Amino acid sequence: MFNYIIKRFFQSLITLMVVITIVFALLRLMPEEGYFGEGYEKLDEQQREAILTQMGLRDPLHKQLLDFYKQLLRGDLGKSIIYRPKVDISIILNDKIPYSLRFGLSAMALSLLIGLPLGILMALNHRGFWDKLGTAYIVFINAVPAAIYYLFIQVYVTGIFKIPMLYSESNPLSWILPTISMSLGSTASYAMWMRRYMLDEMNKDYVKLAKAKGLSGPRIMLSHVLRNAFVPMVQYLPSAILYTIAGSIYIESLYSIPGMGGLLVTAIQRQDNTLVQALVLIYSSIGIFGLFLGDILMALLDPRIKLSKKAGAR
Amino acid sequence: MLQILEITFRGEAMEKFILSARDLVIKFRLRGKVLTAIRGVSLDIYEGESLAIVGESGSGKSVFTKSFMGLLDKNGWIDSGSIIYGGMDLAKFKEERDWLKIRGKEIAMVFQEPMTALNPLKTIGKQVKEAVELHQGLRGKEAKEEVIKILDDVGIRDPERRYNQYPHEFSGGMRQRVVIAIAIACRPKILICDEPTTALDVTIQAQILNLLKDLKEKYKLTTIYITHDLGVVANVADRVAVMYAGDIIEIGKTEEIFYNGQHPYTWALLSSLPQLGKKGEPLYTIQGTPPNLFQEIKGDAFAPRNPKALEIDFIHSPPYFQVSPTHKAKTWLLDPRAPHVEPPEAIKKMRKRWKEI
Repeated sequence: MFNYIIKRFFQSLITLMVVITIVFALLRLMPEEGYFGEGYEKLDEQQREAILTQMGLRDPLHKQLLDFYKQLLRGDLGKSIIYRPKVDISIILNDKIPYSLRFGLSAMALSLLIGLPLGILMALNHRGFWDKLGTAYIVFINAVPAAIYYLFIQVYVTGIFKIPMLYSESNPLSWILPTISMSLGSTASYAMWMRRYMLDEMNKDYVKLAKAKGLSGPRIMLSHVLRNAFVPMVQYLPSAILYTIAGSIYIESLYSIPGMGGLLVTAIQRQDNTLVQALVLIYSSIGIFGLFLGDILMALLDPRIKLSKKAGAR
Repeated sequence: MLQILEITFRGEAMEKFILSARDLVIKFRLRGKVLTAIRGVSLDIYEGESLAIVGESGSGKSVFTKSFMGLLDKNGWIDSGSIIYGGMDLAKFKEERDWLKIRGKEIAMVFQEPMTALNPLKTIGKQVKEAVELHQGLRGKEAKEEVIKILDDVGIRDPERRYNQYPHEFSGGMRQRVVIAIAIACRPKILICDEPTTALDVTIQAQILNLLKDLKEKYKLTTIYITHDLGVVANVADRVAVMYAGDIIEIGKTEEIFYNGQHPYTWALLSSLPQLGKKGEPLYTIQGTPPNLFQEIKGDAFAPRNPKALEIDFIHSPPYFQVSPTHKAKTWLLDPRAPHVEPPEAIKKMRKRWKEI
């Protein structure tokens, strides 16, 4: 087990380094005006060269890459150039991440709390009323563009319940709708996958054996089916939790929540090269780290996963 | 009720029936149509015997025995008839709660596919322990000791260490031993073995069959084997029931069926055994396919595939004709009015040997 974790960790590390290098290389291909900020047009050729040289961008590439790694190891993501000139990127993120996390995590808790039981109910009630109702919900969420029901909720529900339309820090009532809206999609997908994994397990031979040995239906569900159906779900949970940091572009702009959503888009539009670089790095390391945690959770729950040692069947 | 059933028609010492199926009809609903899988089967199973039910795929042998445990698929039901066990009519059971009294405790089953029959995420110790706790009422350390004893009984070496291992750490043969251990741990009176060796390779098959024979003695079980492998039958069974298209067409002691079979289907089945074929000649195969169970079957179900079928075979279904006190067959050939039909060569040879015995 320990060997497996170590091995998986170094694999993730290598992946991360490859990503960093690629991001670094791509950013060097971008137009250079992204490094100058306001007043780019007023600078003449020599001033521009001076600024670029001062930023280290005229050094040989391998030195630049090395410097970049050193900077990252110190935890320094660099300074924003255009978005908020000369401000540390880590400060910009510090201001925004808490909002996204707060809404993301509570939306996620809500959708797990509703989605998983809904999926289980649908599987137990296979082809029955609840299954059909749940399927209708899942199809609706997947078929209708999210923007439509987000807007619908914002416009009508705020009107009916007299809840403020926009987010305000001091009024917790205004936090409800963004959270609910954000959870609708993931509720549908948790329910869908849970139902599917449950049905997969329910049709397996070992359930027949458990039945033949005289276990009652509820007991088979609890101690055999449910546990086994959770295993594939668990793999995606760490990624899902971590990705809440990224926030939701649409919801955050709809309710004017000052979170992470849309930051990457803005940074790219305004060609704030260092900010883009930092954000892409953060998102990709979140992805890699999430998968790493998911794999470890899987290995803890599923004894068949032991890549480090060949399982000896006799 | 039981007293009536205990009337002996074997002509020998009175033996008790442990389970009696009477005129059992089982139907399935499939794509809006109704299929009759079991067409009025009656069968008495003696306590302590070893009975083999043979027949080709789809003959209903598996469905028939599954109905003893309420394990029919959701789209299937017992249409009429009765299954008497321990003074209860199992055919009348409707709720899962009723079946919990039977499953495991009274009747247990060993399945065909050992590779998938175990939960891959639970140690085999825990899976056997579930049965021990449920049916023997043991808990904690006692239960674990019992599990280890049973694992040892089914021939798993080093059971203390194996207790904490997962199914993927076992080979097919060893997994089948675990499945058998689970069945035994329930302390059943009847053990149904649904093609217990089909998925195993030949060397392991013999080991598993020997194990089942030993366990039958040790735990005083009544065993029912479902198989299409006549080699298995000869090895383990006291009696053989031959099933065709949802009906038992011939039943008797194993020797009687092998050496003195009467039904043309039994003949055909035996003739297709490689051991009975002649060297250098192509092996006998049964022509055609089994009848469509969606339609009502008229006469003898095997008649359309039987080149020597009589005319009456297509019109009236034959009753049982008693061949000996322990042997009966459903074929018009046994009617005194029937013309003489020569059985195939292989069968004639077997009959000669039968007379010598």
